[in-house]
Amino acid sequence: MNISESLNLEAAFAQAEADAQIRRALEQNAQRFAAAQLPNRYNEDWRFGKPAQFAEELAEMLAAREPVQAAIRIESGDGVHAERISPRDEDLKETLQLMPTIGSDYFLGLHVERFGTGCCIMLEPGAVVENPIVITYEVGAGLYTPSTFIMAGAGAKARIIEKHICRDGAAIFCARSIQLAEGADIAVELHESGAGVSKAFNITNIQSLGGHIRHLTMHNGHAWAREETVAEIAEADARGEIRLYSANKLSGRSVLDQHTKQVHHTGGAFSDLLYKNVVDDQATAIFAGNIYVAPAAHDTDAYQANRNMLLSEKAGIHSLPGLEILADRVKCSHGSASSPMDEEQLFYLTSRGVARRQAQLLVAEGFLSDVVNHFKQVDGAKELDMSSGN
Amino acid sequence: MSLIIKDLKARVKDGAQILNGVSLEIPKGEVHAIMGPNGSGKSTLSKVLCGHPAYEVISGTAELDGQNLFAMSADERSRAGLFLAFQYPVEVPGVSNANFLRAALQARLPEGEELDAVQFYKTLRSTMAKLGMDTKFTSRAVNEGFSGGEKKRNDVLQMMMLNPTYAILDETDSGLDVDALRIVSDGVNAMRAPYRSFMIITHYKRLLDYIRPDVVHVLHRGRIVRTAGYEIVDEIEQKGFDFLKIEE
Amino acid sequence: MDDSTFQIDTRGEFAFPENHRFDAGYGLTDETIDYICDAKGEPDWVRRFRKDALKQFREMPMPTHWAPKEINALDFDKIRYYLAHGTAPYKDWEEVPEDVKRTFERLGVPEQERAFLAGVDAQYDSETAYNNMREELSKQGVIFVNSTEGLRDYEHIFRPWFGKVIPVNDNKFSALNHAAFSGGSFIYVPKGVKLNQPLQAYFRINSESMGQFERTLIIADEGAELMYMEGCTAPKYDSATLHSGVVELVALKGAKIQYVTVQNWATNVYNLVIQRGLAMEDAEIRWIDCNIGSGVTMKYPAVVLKGRRARGEVVSISLAHSGQLQDTGARMIHAAPETTSNIVAKSISIGEGRASYRGEVNILKGMKGCKNNTECDALLINHNSRTDTYPAISVHGNASAVQHEASVSQVDEEMLFYMQQRGLTRAQAMSLAVNGFINDLVQEFPMEYSVELRRLIDLQMEDSIG
Repeated sequence: MNISESLNLEAAFAQAEADAQIRRALEQNAQRFAAAQLPNRYNEDWRFGKPAQFAEELAEMLAAREPVQAAIRIESGDGVHAERISPRDEDLKETLQLMPTIGSDYFLGLHVERFGTGCCIMLEPGAVVENPIVITYEVGAGLYTPSTFIMAGAGAKARIIEKHICRDGAAIFCARSIQLAEGADIAVELHESGAGVSKAFNITNIQSLGGHIRHLTMHNGHAWAREETVAEIAEADARGEIRLYSANKLSGRSVLDQHTKQVHHTGGAFSDLLYKNVVDDQATAIFAGNIYVAPAAHDTDAYQANRNMLLSEKAGIHSLPGLEILADRVKCSHGSASSPMDEEQLFYLTSRGVARRQAQLLVAEGFLSDVVNHFKQVDGAKELDMSSGN
Repeated sequence: MSLIIKDLKARVKDGAQILNGVSLEIPKGEVHAIMGPNGSGKSTLSKVLCGHPAYEVISGTAELDGQNLFAMSADERSRAGLFLAFQYPVEVPGVSNANFLRAALQARLPEGEELDAVQFYKTLRSTMAKLGMDTKFTSRAVNEGFSGGEKKRNDVLQMMMLNPTYAILDETDSGLDVDALRIVSDGVNAMRAPYRSFMIITHYKRLLDYIRPDVVHVLHRGRIVRTAGYEIVDEIEQKGFDFLKIEE
Repeated sequence: MDDSTFQIDTRGEFAFPENHRFDAGYGLTDETIDYICDAKGEPDWVRRFRKDALKQFREMPMPTHWAPKEINALDFDKIRYYLAHGTAPYKDWEEVPEDVKRTFERLGVPEQERAFLAGVDAQYDSETAYNNMREELSKQGVIFVNSTEGLRDYEHIFRPWFGKVIPVNDNKFSALNHAAFSGGSFIYVPKGVKLNQPLQAYFRINSESMGQFERTLIIADEGAELMYMEGCTAPKYDSATLHSGVVELVALKGAKIQYVTVQNWATNVYNLVIQRGLAMEDAEIRWIDCNIGSGVTMKYPAVVLKGRRARGEVVSISLAHSGQLQDTGARMIHAAPETTSNIVAKSISIGEGRASYRGEVNILKGMKGCKNNTECDALLINHNSRTDTYPAISVHGNASAVQHEASVSQVDEEMLFYMQQRGLTRAQAMSLAVNGFINDLVQEFPMEYSVELRRLIDLQMEDSIG
């Protein structure tokens, strides 16, 4: 046997071992989905999330299998493979099956059963994409369950905008997997827009193998929306960076239920989170965040901040910023603040002749635009990010 | 009886080598100045002698009155009589100056012997008066919220209280105004004694006008390149360190 | 050198042989309750009340949102629910049985009483062994007795508030305490009376597998003020011991209650205590809480701010060593406008110890002008120590402000070197750094306690690093 044959053999063994590992993981997952229950009030990850109402409504919609009217549009560029996925994309389905959730294994299981629509964006290693890549899911009726896969090769740079548009009583339940190789640097925006009675649920998993990501979500107009975002610093030699942002203005009786996990499996990496909400009328915003620093993930920097501005007597927020630190030499902090609009600012604006209502809108906009600025100009805002985390 | 350093090589832990074979001897009773340009290894020398965990000795020896310094932990070195006035004294939140000094003095007493609290406060008050320090300093946390000058003065207070036999002053003059410099120098001069020696690390002639050294060593690229009397200080002041490098 | 006037056996790691006249055996059944009621000679309403609570206890699940998983290891059938020498406390120190007396003497109780206390209640297993209060206070109408005496002799004051702040069905452990309660204090301070010395309770578990279920109710009438301090110790046994007290405070208009705990149970004790205060208009309740001992502690002192401008505060220190879980925190329920609350919590995790902060701040619907400020700081000493923070903040309406900040840090190596350079050993330096970390909070404790606290912390640090 010559050297190249033995190398081939080794590669074959390694491949077989990797396949076996995935099979074992998938078997465990099958059990995970079988054992998962419809979230109820004893499910801590659905605390304040009114599972009796929303989880059950979602389950009903999934069971009813009403006819779905939905369209996918993709605007892509050079160095990008952008494709609609089909039920035959087994690899992608496996990725989906292995995704973590924050209290919604039950729903992910149902989503996997409906696998076969959505889109997959692959950035070639070293690709620098000038124009933003835009994915649009538009739902006219029923519950649409697409999956989005974003895979950024080493050193790739791009900006990706994902738009979810729901009409009337339509709903979207999207599973999103974002993977970054070393040196990748991408910005991802998720724009949720609804028509007052629509619903949205996103389960997102971000894995950084030494890549950098800025991830921003913005919600507008859904009656109910839930987000579960698990961002993981995977084991890698390079220093990964994950920045999670969200800026939302809620009105009417809408409910936004956001859950995040910043998971540091390996040390020396950085993560930051800034979620801001302006809550008006009888709307409710829920933020439940967690920073988990694994036992060996020393020298981690992780920050988390949730800020809320309440505009009406019947608006409400629930904020649960959590930390679980099992490693050493960790710089970690979280903060949560909720307050009315600053009367001094309002006074200043009104004293310049702006009507009070207009002044309120301006102040609220300013409060949220801070998040977008952080997202857009990450280089200049690096220090700002730290201070917002502190 | 003296502090003897022989061919000392040291580096930042897992990093660059800074000291490339320093040898010098400071006999009891003498004041030696260490001068040298930025990055020559002055502060590293002081930290290595006192056992700072960020540095490691590669080779060479340092003996304090015949005891091997490098076999001792940082606190053992301190109790053996070695004192370092830090270039940047550290803030210790929540621990009052008085409690800290008491603990440091108590650590020097034999097991089972208690520090006389009344005597302690008497000495502390009078020493603080000498340094022109307000008595309310005793209850403030160590260096917390102190200005640069206050921190330096506080380090000198500790030196006077702990009564070391070998004191290293690492750029104690930086950040001090003229009045503070005079007070600190007077404190040091008052402590000069046949049984005590000083290593004064400085950039400038200024401090050495107040505390006149017996010997001046010039450190460059981690080596002593010149050992001379006080007269070299004027020469450096006029010509800078450059003229010494050529000789090397 | 030491400011302490007392040399007290702060760790309480000693035990005397059991010598109980009453022993209800293991497990909790209707028969156990009959045994307790008969022993205490309680009226029928109490017996019915206890049995009803037991029924609810059996039906309720273990807590979920508010509990670490570790409490599921607790076996309620392996606990002894009532152990007592006698049912009536002694009012004269000399009459207290010898072994009990020696226990409390070692713990420094009589010295402290002479030195600075207004009254003392010392509980040994299930019953109060000694209870005494300065005479001038009785003349002012102050009541300080144990819960059995309180229900018997002062039913008209006690009963209307009994189980009102913490209802039977609040949670499983509340139901358990309502079924099995024994000991604890009943305190009433009349209108306008201000106690300038603290009242103290001392809780001692002496017997193996013991469950201690003290019940405390403190009522400060309008404008009254008092400070109450409790200390706890137990020897270490192989089997688990349970301490599950219920403490209710009622501060009527303008009253002020400070409740200080220094908990130093042995490391096999499950310390699951419910403490909650009701603060009426302009009243103030402060919980000052220090948890050093126990294996698992779950304790979140709460203030329900029920009257306009009421104030609540929790100052919390916890120290978690290898094998310990300190799950502590605070709850502030703003149920009236213009109420303010403040939480400062500092925890230290040593070795494989785990300290968690769990908190709730809730500004209820329709409340205006409420404020809360929360600060949680955690210090990790070793690389395998663990700390968690689990706050839950709910704000309703646009006229209140809530702020929460938390940080995690390690002892700065530069700082340790600085102290070592001054001649302190690494352990001493570490101990000073830890003391410095909690210094501002220790000052909130009464002088006599803060000295003890520092000594306890030094002991703990020496054990782990020295």
